[in-house]
Amino acid sequence: MRVSSGRKFTKILGAELDKLVTLPLIGFILIGSFLLNLVLAAAFTSAGQQDSAGTQSMLELGLASLRYTQAGYIILGILAACSEYSGGQIRTTLTVIPWRGLQLSAKHLALAIITVPAAFMIAASGVLYSLFRMSNTAAGIDIGTMIKTLAGAAGYLTLTALLSAAIGSLLGRTTPAVVLLLGYYFVVSPLAGELLPGYLPDTAGYSMYMHPSAGEINARTPIEGTGILMLWTLLFITAALVLYRKRDA
Amino acid sequence: MRAFQAELSKLFSLPGIWLAVLIGAVAPAGISALDSIAQKEDIVAGISTRLPEAGFIGLVLGVQGVIILGVLAVSSEYLTESSESGAGHQITTSLTAVPSRIHVLLAKAGAVAVISILQCIFAILTTVSVTHLMLGEYTPSFEGSRLLGTVCYWVFTALLAFAFTVLTKNALIPLAVLLINSSLVSFSVLLSKITKLAYYLPDRAGAEMFMVMGDRIHTPFTGGLVMFGWVAVLFIIAAIVFLRRDVAA
Repeated sequence: MRVSSGRKFTKILGAELDKLVTLPLIGFILIGSFLLNLVLAAAFTSAGQQDSAGTQSMLELGLASLRYTQAGYIILGILAACSEYSGGQIRTTLTVIPWRGLQLSAKHLALAIITVPAAFMIAASGVLYSLFRMSNTAAGIDIGTMIKTLAGAAGYLTLTALLSAAIGSLLGRTTPAVVLLLGYYFVVSPLAGELLPGYLPDTAGYSMYMHPSAGEINARTPIEGTGILMLWTLLFITAALVLYRKRDA
Repeated sequence: MRAFQAELSKLFSLPGIWLAVLIGAVAPAGISALDSIAQKEDIVAGISTRLPEAGFIGLVLGVQGVIILGVLAVSSEYLTESSESGAGHQITTSLTAVPSRIHVLLAKAGAVAVISILQCIFAILTTVSVTHLMLGEYTPSFEGSRLLGTVCYWVFTALLAFAFTVLTKNALIPLAVLLINSSLVSFSVLLSKITKLAYYLPDRAGAEMFMVMGDRIHTPFTGGLVMFGWVAVLFIIAAIVFLRRDVAA
């Protein structure tokens, strides 16, 4: 049966979406990181209220918790890629869809379709919470800035998930990928701080939703940050695609 | 004793363990080297407030290795093998060979504890020598009691990870939570800004066995006791769950 290539891609995308939403841990991770984000936003807000100087804006307080909840999105990406390898599902997948490049691209697209709304909701919930709690103390914020920052935060989480999926499919095994990515994002990067150049994925992406304080030297605009993080993501996805097409399944 | 030897041999044949051993050997020394580079000017000028922490900072933040060890020791038993090799769980075999569940649990915990002690001793050796190399004559002395505290901290951390994984049976969640919490941006540091109760969290209390912190509320001994309490409680819960649970449910 011959199908047009447009139809073909829609069908592959549908299959990938189906596989993604039926993974048992996906819902748990999304809901878990949503709740965790609310708890952390509450913690950050009350810590911010005690610190009466009010140096941090409401937006920043609401989004500060994303530093932690990005872990949920890293794991989401890794799971989406590595669940294929944990049982031998990959061979079924490739029997049904023998076009490897197309299949992996569709997988990343499917992941993005799920992460964008979830990331938007998670970022908005944190900001709304701190808005709600601090409504009597702080001045109102500009809706335009808020939407821009929220879009930046959602974009950051989505790109991080895609990057993790690419690294997950490069490594093919869940635990090493989790250790590598969490170790980088939470241990190496915060510790090494200034020693590392500012164009690494997490530091560049940070400027997508956090406005740098005036004193920083290598401050970036959100657009620059987005561009750099996108380049990183595309780089890793390309590497994953090339390797995936060559590799023994 | 034979169960203990069996657990040791199972642990050493896990591929992920070598990752854990490598991280455990490299991370503390690397972190203290970074910290020493950052602190060196202050220390030489004699104005550093963090001199007593030099070196130990690597040992408190470099526990990722034993966390991976504790998590993998349990999660590898519950990993579903690929359908081509029967889709079984190792735990079924382990419990067939050693039918007493409490013996399996204790032997496994013993193996994890022994390996983490060895890892810690190795980490102390590398960290102390790296700090000497970096700071030369300014190196603070490493007292035996604080080093003993470090060993306790590492073993307790490994056992916490172990008991936590017995409850979840899955590597992802304990790995994510504990790896993030062992980093600079840990949950307990955030929570300690809000409530005094956070000082009783295991990692915060345990770190006071050997870290000299500005706002300490425990003596080294009570800090260790608090952390041991957490380990004991979590371990008892894990043992009860493990004794009563259907094998691979």
